[in-house]
Order: sequence, then structure tokens, then C-alpha cells
Amino acid sequence: MKVAIISFAHMHANSYARCLGKIEGVELVSIADEDVKRGEKKAREFRTKYYQDYQEMLKKESPEAVIITSANAKHKDIALSCANSGKHILCEKPIATTLEDAKAMLSACLENEVIYQQAFPLRYSPPVNIIKKQVEQGTIGKVLAIKGTNHGVMPDPQEHPFFTDKSLSGGGAVMDHTVHVVDLMRWITGSEVREVYAEVDQLLHDNIDIDDCGILSLEFENEVFATLDPSWSRPKSFPTWGDLKLDFIGDKGVIFMDAFAQNISLYSDLDGRVFWNFWGDDLDLLMVRDFIDTVANKANPKVTGFDGLKALEVALAAYKSAEKGESVKIKNQR
Amino acid sequence: MLKVGILGAGTMGKTHAVSYNSLPEVEIRGIVDRDEGAGQDLAGQYKAHSYKSIEELLEKEEVDIIDICLPTPFHKENVFKAAQASKDILCEKPIARNLKDAQEMVKRCAEKKVKFMIAQVLRFFPEYIAAKEIISSGKIGKPAVVRTSRGASFPLGADDWYGDKDLSGGVILDMIIHDFDFLRWCFGEVKRVYTKSLLNKGLERIDYALVTLRFSSGVIAHVEGSWAYPQGTPFRQRLEVAGTKGLLEVDLGKSSPYTMYLKQEEGAKAGVVIPEVPLSEDPYTREIKHFVECVKSDTLPSILPEDGVRAVEIALAALESVKTGRAVEVEKGEVKS
Repeated sequence: MKVAIISFAHMHANSYARCLGKIEGVELVSIADEDVKRGEKKAREFRTKYYQDYQEMLKKESPEAVIITSANAKHKDIALSCANSGKHILCEKPIATTLEDAKAMLSACLENEVIYQQAFPLRYSPPVNIIKKQVEQGTIGKVLAIKGTNHGVMPDPQEHPFFTDKSLSGGGAVMDHTVHVVDLMRWITGSEVREVYAEVDQLLHDNIDIDDCGILSLEFENEVFATLDPSWSRPKSFPTWGDLKLDFIGDKGVIFMDAFAQNISLYSDLDGRVFWNFWGDDLDLLMVRDFIDTVANKANPKVTGFDGLKALEVALAAYKSAEKGESVKIKNQR
Repeated sequence: MLKVGILGAGTMGKTHAVSYNSLPEVEIRGIVDRDEGAGQDLAGQYKAHSYKSIEELLEKEEVDIIDICLPTPFHKENVFKAAQASKDILCEKPIARNLKDAQEMVKRCAEKKVKFMIAQVLRFFPEYIAAKEIISSGKIGKPAVVRTSRGASFPLGADDWYGDKDLSGGVILDMIIHDFDFLRWCFGEVKRVYTKSLLNKGLERIDYALVTLRFSSGVIAHVEGSWAYPQGTPFRQRLEVAGTKGLLEVDLGKSSPYTMYLKQEEGAKAGVVIPEVPLSEDPYTREIKHFVECVKSDTLPSILPEDGVRAVEIALAALESVKTGRAVEVEKGEVKS
């Protein structure tokens, strides 16, 4: 199967490229990147062809599937080109920066009958899947509340500038990290968010001009309430990139989940600081492999564009709430 | 020799009694509990007398300090009686169930010129003091996002008073008031409060709250309070402060020098769980020692009565937010009850 990657603006492209290399029968047929220097470097690194213009690449290389890892705001145009030329899509989160863009992407994929999969690797986490099963089996009774965090180190503005450029990212930490946690909460509870309140601010970094922290309070259609902390609040000296934690409060018990707890603590004089080296499953590999299988079998994607859209909707509602200083309602289809 | 009378022979009364007893210059003279058996048991351990009421205690004993370890709804009347008798008062948190009572208590104690300290004991936990010092030192830069957690199983008090949320205010007023007070101590006044909790969900013997605080300084804090854990779950107490230059983490679970697991006896009942901190002098003793020293030297306790009132104000704003589903502005005086 011929697969192409469009843009290395997002650092996850590196991981996805590596994953493609590990999957038998898959060829990374080319890399398109508007940044010539970056694109050529990556093409050399992953021993594939480089195009500056992704349209040209789509035409000349005709990949069967495409992974989109551009700046968030550019997802739409790229996805539309891919869909219109019949390419299946795995797209980095968030799906887009506006609901209109997201909807346009989904319609284009629907019309052209191409697969659109949202890149939410946490869906493939074995700990997350065990917790989902426990919750569904009623092990902790009825779920009443959830507390979530998806902390991170701020993406380096020099190396990955789009994250801190609002016109390209649509938002900072809240845009970047809300969607992962909201997706898991939706998936595990089977319920949609109906109300969002958020405190959002830029308090941690002064070399940028975008939100870097926040606390979101959510209310779901099934009465569950939750909070989530998407802040870029881990300092550069933190032992790892961040965390993803979920506490489930049920009427018969509680679950405390730390999806990235499988670490070796490493104290090396060569590093001069502590590192937590993750030894759990490679979630990107599980996800990319599943996407390839989905395309090969023309199956329904495990994580859909609708999932991507609903998660984005909550992040956008959080910004709106912070601006208005009051909670914002979300209308869900019944 | 300072003489003390303790009101209440429950978990906190017993804890405070141990602390007073460890101080050579203090003598426990009387224990008041309407449950005569409980009062006698505790009094017996310290060669003190047990009484059924504060009136009886005040009549029979010459005490200097009244320590109130009673359920919140009984704080006000006993503070009034102790102040009337010119006794210095240490009173368990929260100061009161509502602001009006709290303010009247503070006023009365000021009028009667008695010392009045609310036992916001977190201010005497060495790890919290150390955290505050690190924050002040600038090691983590300017504080930005703060997270606290405090959780245990549902407490079992006299007449199950914790179960009556109108009396106790649930986990928000009784439990995470500790964190509200500590955060205010570190970051100043709270501007805005938003809260979700199980308070109005018609559930029995379970409470859980997630509170977002916005301080005037800009700091955002997330405060978790849980009385939702199954019996036997270890007490959870956590503080995380992320700043512009670093992050600090205080976690009881990660700093317990030992762990012990025992087979559960059938029918075993937990009372009120408080965190156990193995130190040469535990935080409760440090707190009581401080108050005793203030009484002895006639100086002002480090926790002002106003601090107790402000902490309750934040908790009431959180309760109001749960009720209305809206953010509540503390500075604008929206908190009235």
C-alpha cells in the first residue's frame, strides 16, 4: 500500500513515518511539505521522495492513503484535495480550527467515499481499553464524575512554530490538549458534552502570544460532570513530556488511571536530570497499523471525523466560555 | 500551667487531646460530650473530668482555653459561651456554616478580647509550609496553575451529621476548606469560583466536588474534594503548583514512609479518616503548641479569625456555584449566605 505524509509541521509526523516503516506491505511513497528545507531533510531521513506541492504529489504518486500532519488550520484544504482525489485520510488532531472547516472535510470524505480517521492514539492504549471495559461492565457502578488531565511541555516555538501561532493552530494549550481527553470521556461514557465552563489564560510562558493553560468544567448529557486540565504546565525539566490521567468516580467505586505510568525512572549523570522512559505500548504504531488495516479492508474507521468534530466543539466552547465568563451550552443531536 | 477544656470526644477531640497531653505546660481539665461514655473514656485517659455541657465545665473547672471539636452547627453557641466566660478559643474548621454566624463569632471574640483561632491545620503540615517557602523563593517562577486533591471515604460522625449536607456543607465546606485556606495563604484573595459537585444529585453517603478558583493575582487553581472513595481507600492529599520556571508536587501517597495492610475484621467501621504524618511532632501538635504559646505570651495567633471567615466565603461561593450552575464572583460580594 502506498502511503504519503503531508507536512511535518506537527512533530507527530516523525513518529507516524517511523510507524509506517514498521508495517509490512506499506510504503511511505513520498513526503510533501511546503517548507523545502524541512521536507527535503525528512525525505532523506525516511528515504522517500519529496514534493513541495502536495497537489502535485497526490497526482504523480497516487498514494492510496495520506497522513495529514500540517498546521491545524491547513487540515481542511489538504483533506479536501485528498478526498476529492479519492485518497483515504488519517488526520492529526484537532480535526480543524473551526466547525465549518471540520464539516466541510467530513462532507468531502462522505461524497468521495474515502475513509477519514481522526488520529486519537489514546483510543489504542491498553490501560484505557481496560478501564473502558470496567466502566461498561459497571464495576464501579454508575459513573458520577470524571477528573482528567492532559498536561504537557509547551511545544518549542522555534522547532514547531505553528502551535503558538493562533492563525495556524486555532488556539494554544486548550486547543492542543482538550480534544484527547474529551474524546476519551465521550468514548468511555458514551455520552456527549452539553455544557462547558472554562478559565483560560496565558500565565506560564512569556515568549508566546497564545493561551498556555486552563481548566475546563464539563457536563455530559448523562449528568456526569468532569474537569480537565490541558495546560502546557510541565517545565522543560519535567521527567517526561506530560501526562494523561483520568479519575472515574462511580457510586460503587473509583478508578485512578495514569495512561503513561509504565515508565522506567532513569537517573543518569550523563543527563544531569531525571527521565521517565516509557516502556508501554507504542500507541502511534497501534493506531497507524489499524488505519492501514481499515483502508485495506475498506472498513469503518475506529475513530471517525464526527469524533474529531465533537472534541473540537468542546475546545471551541471552552474559548467562548472563557471570553464570556460564563458556561456555554452545546447542542447535540438526539 | 495552662488548663484546657475540650468540647467533643470524637476524632478531632481525641487528636487534640493527644497533642495537649504532650505539652508539659498544659493540663487537660475537662472533656465535654453529650455522650457520657465517650466523654468519660477520653477524660479517663488524661485524668480529666467529663461533663455533659460547656456550662457544667465552666462552672466546675478553671480553664484558660476552650477547644471546640464539635460538628460545625455547634460552633457558634459554644464560641459565644466560651467568649462570654473570657476563655481563649481554638475552634475546628470550618468556622461556621454561614457567613453571618462566622462574622458574629469573630466580632464577639474581639469584643470579649479573647483569642480566637480556627484550626486550619494544613498551615502546620511541614510539606505545605515547605511548598509555600519554595513558591516564595521563586524556584518555580511565578505560580500559574495549581492543583490540589483531598479525598477519603465518607466520614462517619455523631448522628451521621456529615451525611446531612445542610449541616455539614458536604465535602466542599468541611473538607476542601483546608485547601481553600492554604491556597489563599499562598496566592491571596479569590476572585471567581466555579464548581461541579454531587451535592444536589440526591445521593446518600457520597460527595465529590471539582472546584475551579480564579485568584485576583491571575492564578488558576483546581481543587478536588472526595468523600467518594470506598472504605479502606488510603487518604489522598496532593498539591501541585506549576509556575513559569518549574513545578512542585506534594503527594501524601508518594511520601508515606511505610505502608501497612491488615485483614479487615467483619463489621469494622471507619470513623473520620485524617491523614497520618509520622513526624517527631505531628501537625496537630504543632498547631496546638502554637496556640498555647500565643495564649501564654499573649500574642496574636498566625491564623487570624478573618482567615477562617474568608475560607468559608470561598466554600460558600463554591456551594452557590453548584446550586446556580454559574461562576460566582467572590470579590463582588455575590456570596451572601
